[in-house]
Amino acid sequence: MSEQRNALRDVNSRVEAGWSAVLERVHVAHGVGRMALLLVLTFTFFAVQRPGVFLNPVNLTNMGIAAPEIGLLSLAVMIAMLTGGIDLSVVAMANGTAITVSSLYTAVGDAQGQAAAEGWAPLIVLVGVLVGVLLGAFNGFLVSVVGITPILATLGTMQLYNGLALVWTGGVTISGAPSALRSMGGTAVAGIPVLTIILVLCAVLLAVVINRTPIGRKVQLQGANPVAARYSGISPRSTLMMTYVISGLLSAVAGLLFLSRNPSASADYGSSYVLLVIVIVVLGGTNPAGGFATVLGVLLATLTLQVVASGFSALRLSAYEYAIAQGVILIGVMVLDQVRFRRRPLRRRPGMQDRPVPTPAEK
Amino acid sequence: MSGRLSRLRGPNNEGLLVAVILVVVVAMALSSPAFFTAGTFFALVRSSMVPLIFALGVLMVLISGGIDVSFPAIAIFAAYSTVKWVIGAGADPGPWVIIAIAMLVGAVLGLVNGVVIARFRLPTLIVTLGTQSIFKGVLISYIGSVYISAADLPDSVNALAGSHLLDVSGGGYLHFMIVPVVVVAVLVALLLSRTIFGRSIYAIGGDTEAARRVGIDVVRTQVWLYVLVGALAAFGGMLYVILGRNANPQSIVGTELDIIAAVVLGGASIFGGRGSVLGTVLGVVLVQLINNNLVLLGIPSTWQRAAVGILLLLGVGAQALGARRPNGHSVDVEPPLEREEVAA
Amino acid sequence: MAPSAAPVLEVHDVVKTYGGIHALNGVSLELLPGEVHCLAGENGSGKSTLIKIISGVEKPDSGTVVINGRTHRHLTTGDAIRSGIQVIYQDFSLFPNLSAAENIAMLSELADRRRISSRSRIRAAARRVVEDLGLRLDLDADVADLTVADRQLIAICRALVNDAKVLIMDEPTTALTHTEVERLFTIVRRLQERGVAVMFVSHKLDEVLEISQRVTVLRNGAQVASGAAADHTPRTIAKAMTGREVSDERLVGEVPPDAPVLLELDRLGRAGGFSDVSFALRAGEILGITGLLGSGRSEIAEAIFGIHPADSGTIRVAGTERRIRSIRDAVHAGIGYVPEDRLTQGLFLDVSIADNMIAASLDSYRARGGLLDRRRVRDSIADLFRRLRIQAPNVGAMVRSLSGGNAQRVVLAKWLDRKPAVLVLNGPTVGVDIGSKEEIIAILREQAAAGMGVIIISDDIPELVTACHRILIVHEGRVVSELTGDEVDAHEIQRRMAA
Repeated sequence: MSEQRNALRDVNSRVEAGWSAVLERVHVAHGVGRMALLLVLTFTFFAVQRPGVFLNPVNLTNMGIAAPEIGLLSLAVMIAMLTGGIDLSVVAMANGTAITVSSLYTAVGDAQGQAAAEGWAPLIVLVGVLVGVLLGAFNGFLVSVVGITPILATLGTMQLYNGLALVWTGGVTISGAPSALRSMGGTAVAGIPVLTIILVLCAVLLAVVINRTPIGRKVQLQGANPVAARYSGISPRSTLMMTYVISGLLSAVAGLLFLSRNPSASADYGSSYVLLVIVIVVLGGTNPAGGFATVLGVLLATLTLQVVASGFSALRLSAYEYAIAQGVILIGVMVLDQVRFRRRPLRRRPGMQDRPVPTPAEK
Repeated sequence: MSGRLSRLRGPNNEGLLVAVILVVVVAMALSSPAFFTAGTFFALVRSSMVPLIFALGVLMVLISGGIDVSFPAIAIFAAYSTVKWVIGAGADPGPWVIIAIAMLVGAVLGLVNGVVIARFRLPTLIVTLGTQSIFKGVLISYIGSVYISAADLPDSVNALAGSHLLDVSGGGYLHFMIVPVVVVAVLVALLLSRTIFGRSIYAIGGDTEAARRVGIDVVRTQVWLYVLVGALAAFGGMLYVILGRNANPQSIVGTELDIIAAVVLGGASIFGGRGSVLGTVLGVVLVQLINNNLVLLGIPSTWQRAAVGILLLLGVGAQALGARRPNGHSVDVEPPLEREEVAA
Repeated sequence: MAPSAAPVLEVHDVVKTYGGIHALNGVSLELLPGEVHCLAGENGSGKSTLIKIISGVEKPDSGTVVINGRTHRHLTTGDAIRSGIQVIYQDFSLFPNLSAAENIAMLSELADRRRISSRSRIRAAARRVVEDLGLRLDLDADVADLTVADRQLIAICRALVNDAKVLIMDEPTTALTHTEVERLFTIVRRLQERGVAVMFVSHKLDEVLEISQRVTVLRNGAQVASGAAADHTPRTIAKAMTGREVSDERLVGEVPPDAPVLLELDRLGRAGGFSDVSFALRAGEILGITGLLGSGRSEIAEAIFGIHPADSGTIRVAGTERRIRSIRDAVHAGIGYVPEDRLTQGLFLDVSIADNMIAASLDSYRARGGLLDRRRVRDSIADLFRRLRIQAPNVGAMVRSLSGGNAQRVVLAKWLDRKPAVLVLNGPTVGVDIGSKEEIIAILREQAAAGMGVIIISDDIPELVTACHRILIVHEGRVVSELTGDEVDAHEIQRRMAA
C-alpha cells in the first residue's frame, strides 16, 4: 500500500515538476496585446509598401474569405491545447466533413436529380457536421477513456481519418457541393464576407463557452492542473470528451468552408494546414502545456498570418518566402518571450545563469 | 503470468512487435505464395532504408524528451543543395565526399535547432515546426526549385545508385547502400547504450532537472544531439537521392509524422527517456511491410494510410492501457490522464 | 579520514536578494567533518536558497562559501561537486528510466570525464558503495519501480560514489515511514563515523534533535538561532522558527448528543490498505485519525473520498448509503477533501485565487442558458476571501504567489464554497507556518460549530489534541484505539500509537 502511495506521490511530483517546468519556460501570457500590435504593424507595413495592391478591396475581401477556415481549425486546436493536449487530426476531420457532404450531394443528385439534392442539402450538411463531431468524439474516447496521450492519439486518428478519406475517394478529388454552400463563399453582408462572419460567430460562441459556462471553466482547470481538477470532483472523462467533440465540431464547420470556397473535396486538401494551425495557436498566446488560451489571441494570430500571406503576394514574394516568414515569426516571438521572461529575477531557475555552467563532463 | 509476459515483451515492447510482424508475415504468406520471395524481401529492405535513417534521428530526439519535425526539411535541404552545388561546380568528388558535405550542411542546420532549443529552452515541437518552414522556404526560394533528374546527377552518384550488394537472378537485388545503413544503425545503438553522451540523452529525457543537478551539461548535450540528428537527416536525404536517382526539392517534407509514428510504434516514449534502436528498426519494418504488401492480404493499397493509423492507435492504446497497471500493481495508482501531463 | 577540527564547509555572511526581497540576509554557518548539522526553518525561511548557494546553483549577492579552506567567489555546480559537496534533493533527482546502478554511478562517470560507458564498471562502482553501506538493493531494477525509501538510499549512494565530504539532505524524512526513518538515521550515523559532514534540512523538530549535533534556525532569511543541539528543545526551536510561543491548549467544545450523524462507516475495508473500519461522525464534530505513516490512516481518507475506493463495507452520508467509486461520487455525496499534497492535488497554481475557489462548485453557479451567474460567483468569492482572511492583494492574484498558509486557505475555501456535509483534511497544516496553522484550525472549529462534520488525518499530535473532539488511532490498517474527552492527551496518544 505504501508503495502505491509512494508511486502516487512520485507521479505527482513528476507531474508537478514537468508541468511547472514547461509553464515557466513558455508562459506566453500577453498573447492578445502582442498579436494586436503585430497585426497593426504588419498591416501598416504592407499597406505602406504596396497600397495599391494590398489595400485593394478585392485583396481585403480575399483575406476575409481565406482566413476563416484556418481560423476555425486554429480554434479547434486551441481548445485541445487548453486542456494540455493537442489535436493533429483537425484537417483530416474537416476533410471528412467536406468529403461526406460532397459525396452525399453528388450521390443524391445522381439518383434523384439536382433539385432533389438541393432539397436534401440541409440534411446533407447536418450529416457532414455530424461526421466531424463523431470523429472528434472518437478522439475524445481515445484520450479520455483509453488514456492515450493526445498528441499520439490524434497523430493516429489523423492517419486513420485521412486514410479512410483516401479509401472513400480512391485518392482523387471529388466535386460537387450544395449551391447554398457554394454561394455562401462569394456572398458578403455589408461588405463583410459571410465566411468571416461565420468565423467571428463561432469564435464568440467558443469564447462564451470557455469563459462563461461551467464546462468551459472545467476545461481550463483541466489544463491548468489535471490532478487538482480530479481532486475537485471534475470528471476528466467528460471534460476531455467535450473538448475533443468541440474540436471536431469546429473542424466540421471548417470543412464546410472548404466546400464553400471551392466545391470539391479531397483527402489531401490542406495537408500543410496542420503545422500552420499550430503556429497560429501558439502565436496567439496559447500555453502549449495547457491552462491558458484566448480566442481573441488566436483570431488575431490568424489574421496576422493572413495579412503576411497577402502582403507577401502583394510584394510578389512566393509561398515559400511566406513559409520562411511563418517560421521566423514563430521562433522570434518565442525567443523574445523567453528573453523577457528571463529578465524577471524572481522566476530565475537553477542553472539559468548568464554564463553556462561548466561541468565535470566538460574539457 | 504477467511477469513472464512482460519479459517476453522486452523493455520497449520489442517482443510484442516481433510477434505482430510474424503474424503479419504469416498472414501475407498464407494469402499469397508470391510473398516469400527474395524480391519481396529486398523491396522491403530497400523501402525501409530511408525511413530507418530518419527514424534513428527521431528516436534520439524522442529519448531526449523532444519531438523533431524538421528532419525532412534538413534532409532535402542538405541533399539538394549539396548535389546542386556539386553539379554547378562541375566537379564529381565521388559519392562519399558528396554525402560527407551534405552531412556537414545537415549538421549546421541541426546546430540551428539545437542552439534555439537548448539555449532558450523552448518546446522542441514548436521550434522545429518553425525551422522546418524556414529551411524548406530558404531551399526553394533561394537555392533551387528545379527537379534534378538522373541524367544531371554526378556520375559517381548514379554509379552508386546502381551498385548491388547481392543479385538474385530474376528475384531482384539487395542494394549496396544497406551496408552504410546497417553501420549507421549499429553506431547509433552503440552511441545510445555505450557512451556517456548516449546515457546522458536518456538521463535528460528521464529528468532534465536531475540531469543538470548531477552535472550533465544539458545545453551542450542537446546542441550536439541536434547537430548529430541534423547530420543523420542529411545522410537520409542523400540516401533518398541515391536510391531514387533524382533530387526533388519538393520531396520528403510531409513524411515527418509517418516516421514519428513508426518510432512510437517501436516503443519509444513520447515523454522521453525510453526507446531502443531495435524497437525502431522493428517499427519501421512493420510500417513498410504493411505499406508494401497490404495488397497481398487482399486489401486495396488505398488502405495503407488507414492501416498504419490503426496500427499506431492499437500500439499506443495498448501501451496506455498497460500503463494503468504498472508493475502488476492491481490498483489504478495513476490514471493515465495524470501521466500525460508530465511531458506535454 | 581522520576527524579534524578544521571545518569542511564554511558559509560567511551570505546575502541573497530576489527582486528586492531578502531571501538570505547575512547567514553564516560551518560544518565540521563527521558532524550532523541541522538547518531548520519554516517554508520560505531561506533554507532552499542557502542549499542552492552552497551547491553552486545560485550565486550570493555578497558573502563567501569556503570549502576545505578554499574560498569560492563564483562557485559553480561543477566546483561544488568536485569539492565533495552533494545535495540530496527532496525529489532525489534520480532518473526513473535508468537502472539503480546507473543512477548511482552516473555521477562518477561524469566526474571522471568518461566517454565510453561500461556496464561492468558501472555495476562494480555501484555495488562497492552499496555494500560499503551494508545495504541490500536491486541494482538492476529501474528506479521507477522502487519504493521511495529505496530511492532515497540510491540517492545517498549516488552522493557517496564520488567521495562526498558534505552531504546536504533536504527534508529527507518527509515521505518515510517510522522504520524507514530509523534505517536512514542508522546510515547517517555510519556516514558520520567516516567523517562525512551531513547537513540535515528539516522542520520535524523531534528528528532534528535526535540526529544532529548542531542546529541553525532561519526565519525570513535571517539566522535567528544557532548552537549545539543539546542546548535546544523542540519548544525553543519552534519559537525560533516562528518567533512566538506556540500553544497546544485544548480548545474543544461539546458536540450536542442529539447532533445528527453525518458520516457513518460500517466495516469499511480495502485489500492491502485497511479493514473493518467503523465509526460515526456527528454534525459539529471534529474527528482526528492518526497513526504512523503506512498505518492506513491516509488510505481511509482516500477511500472516503473515492480516490482509492473501498472494496468492502458501506459508507452512509447523512443517513443514506452511498456507493463511492470515484472522487465524483464522493463530491456528489457531500464530501470534501483537502489533500496532503496541496500543490499538486489541491491547487491550480497558475490560476487566480477566485477561480480556484469555485473550482469544485462550478455547476452550482449555472444560471439560465447554462451560463455562469457572474454576480453570484463574484459575491461568493468576495465572501470567502474575507471570511478566510486570505492575505493577497486581490482575488485575481495567482495562487502560486501565496504562502503555504494562504494557499491552504484557498483549498479550504474551494470546499467551503461547495458546502459539503463532511470535510476530510489530510495533513491540513503540513508546510503551513505555525501562525497560519492556528487560524486554519480556528476556521475548522467555526465550520464544525456551524454543523459540518470534520475529519482531520494527521501525525501532528499536538495539533490533533488542540482541535479534535475524538481521536482514532490506526495501526496496521485497523482502528486500534479511540480517545474521547479527557483521554485526549499527547502522551496518551503517543503511548497507544507505539503499543
